[in-house]
Amino acid sequence: MKTLLETIGLRKTYKVGKIDVEALRGVSLRVREGELTAVMGPSGCGKSSLMHILGAMTKPTAGKVLIEGSDIGTMNDAELTSVRRERVGFVFQKFNLLPTLTARQNIDVARYIHGATKAHDAYLAEILQLLMIEDKMGRKPSELSGGEQQRVAIARALSCKPAILLADEPTGSLDTRNSEIVLNMFRELNRKFRQTIILVTHNPELVTYTDRLVEMRDGLVVSDNDPWATESELERQPARSV
Amino acid sequence: MKKQMIVAGLRARPVRTAVSVMAVALEVTLIVVIIGMVTGILTEKAARQMGMGAELTVQPSNSSMLMELSGNTMSVKLADQMRQIPGVKAVVPIQLQINTDGAVETVFGMDPDSWNAVTGGFTWHSGRMFAAPDEIVVDNVWAGSKRAKVGDTVSLLNHNFKVVGIVEQGKGARVYMSMEGASAFTGQTDHVGIFYVKLNNPESVKTVKKAIEQRLPDTRVTDVNDLVTLLTSVGNIPGLNAFINGVTFVPLSIGVLVIFLSMYTTITERTREIGILRSLGASKGFIVGLIFQEAAFISLLGVIFGIGTSFLLQRILTTIFPTLIVDITMAWIAKASVFAIISGIIGSFYPSLKAASQDPVEALAYE
Repeated sequence: MKTLLETIGLRKTYKVGKIDVEALRGVSLRVREGELTAVMGPSGCGKSSLMHILGAMTKPTAGKVLIEGSDIGTMNDAELTSVRRERVGFVFQKFNLLPTLTARQNIDVARYIHGATKAHDAYLAEILQLLMIEDKMGRKPSELSGGEQQRVAIARALSCKPAILLADEPTGSLDTRNSEIVLNMFRELNRKFRQTIILVTHNPELVTYTDRLVEMRDGLVVSDNDPWATESELERQPARSV
Repeated sequence: MKKQMIVAGLRARPVRTAVSVMAVALEVTLIVVIIGMVTGILTEKAARQMGMGAELTVQPSNSSMLMELSGNTMSVKLADQMRQIPGVKAVVPIQLQINTDGAVETVFGMDPDSWNAVTGGFTWHSGRMFAAPDEIVVDNVWAGSKRAKVGDTVSLLNHNFKVVGIVEQGKGARVYMSMEGASAFTGQTDHVGIFYVKLNNPESVKTVKKAIEQRLPDTRVTDVNDLVTLLTSVGNIPGLNAFINGVTFVPLSIGVLVIFLSMYTTITERTREIGILRSLGASKGFIVGLIFQEAAFISLLGVIFGIGTSFLLQRILTTIFPTLIVDITMAWIAKASVFAIISGIIGSFYPSLKAASQDPVEALAYE
């Protein structure tokens, strides 16, 4: 399978006051096209930092992040912005819909920024149908349930066919029933469209919906049940987390 | 799409939008109305000078162009000397008084015969010419503003006068009285502040002007056409440009500060939204453009309301003060509109850069 995203010895250090806090301490990871991967770990383990770097929202302190072969670490702001626009879709715990716009307008904003063409229209229609929110498009976020808002956010993230969908605690603000619906939809999107999805969570139940589980502790990958790993890669585990 | 985002943003914060629009409208209104009052007063004064029918004015050499400020220092006998100059048809000496009761206005003290010889006489609405020192003739605008009728007694220059005639406006002043009446206030029966000179042939104005200047070297002789040009060209009046610059600078500063505050508050309130847009791949230029366009849209609404408010204020002011002229011109509407848009752009410059430079991760974490 084609490698879509790869991190090599990824490190990220934040300054909190005068203290340096190491959020990532050398993460090496390979994600292939069409994978549905869960990155799991307790709060503060570095999984959100990893997601922000994978999504070109911030640059690593050290190491490499290759998205389809391009190294994010060497990019300037405009290039990072371009990666977010062209290759990455985000889904957040708090939905992050623009509150003054309707569901349709929220999706249209992403399409406008991306410069979506009519070729994307049919794909979007399929997504909306799969997410069962076609009839909610005229409503503002405040008029939608949490589950519906998250489905609009997923539609927005996918509306321009990104290479990778990154979801940060996507069920963190949902009840059990809506969590199940959303997770089933992620799986459906992965199966039907071969959409590469990385779910970041601390919820162990979520992993039953994914093909692969990457566990993190203290800024390191401590286990990875990569079903497509080569023998040489398996041998390196857990040495990939340095 | 940007338009939808801007309109939705403005509608979501109606109070902020309304206050910002009103501030820009105030900026436009202040500029248009204050300049309108200045130019209105000058234009109306110029029209009344033209309405005299004279070609030349003669004032003391050190007199102000604003004749109300000139003293009555010239002998009335100078009129006879001027009448002897070839080309001079008639001369009317005017004793000047300033009435500050309610509004600043010029009162003309004059002799009816020489007045009629120069001006061709009044166009009468009602009544007759004054015949006693305590009688006055007023124009229709003054009468309307004081609700005065022929036969009424009015207070003027701290004295009571009887209104005996109402005439059409447009000749020199709004209130006219006899030389005797005006002299009662100055104590000078034989000194005046200005002469209006009517020529046999208006074409000979330069020749006659030169002749008067030679005959009466201590006077200032002015071609009425030059005076009118001076009054209607704001840039020609010393100090007025500085006043107008001040009048435009203050509202412009208000506009810049209000838009700055408004947009600064907006981007602080919408930090998370900016983070969302950045996460969707919006460039810094996109964010800057969005803030700029929102500010420009607010400014444009302010301009539209400001122009409307200016005309409304013009109507209110001229209804309350009928003698006040507020001359709203297209040129100053255009200038005020451009100033308002510029103030919007200047005011939103820093907030837009601040918004664009926000870190996407931090912006998304903003509560």
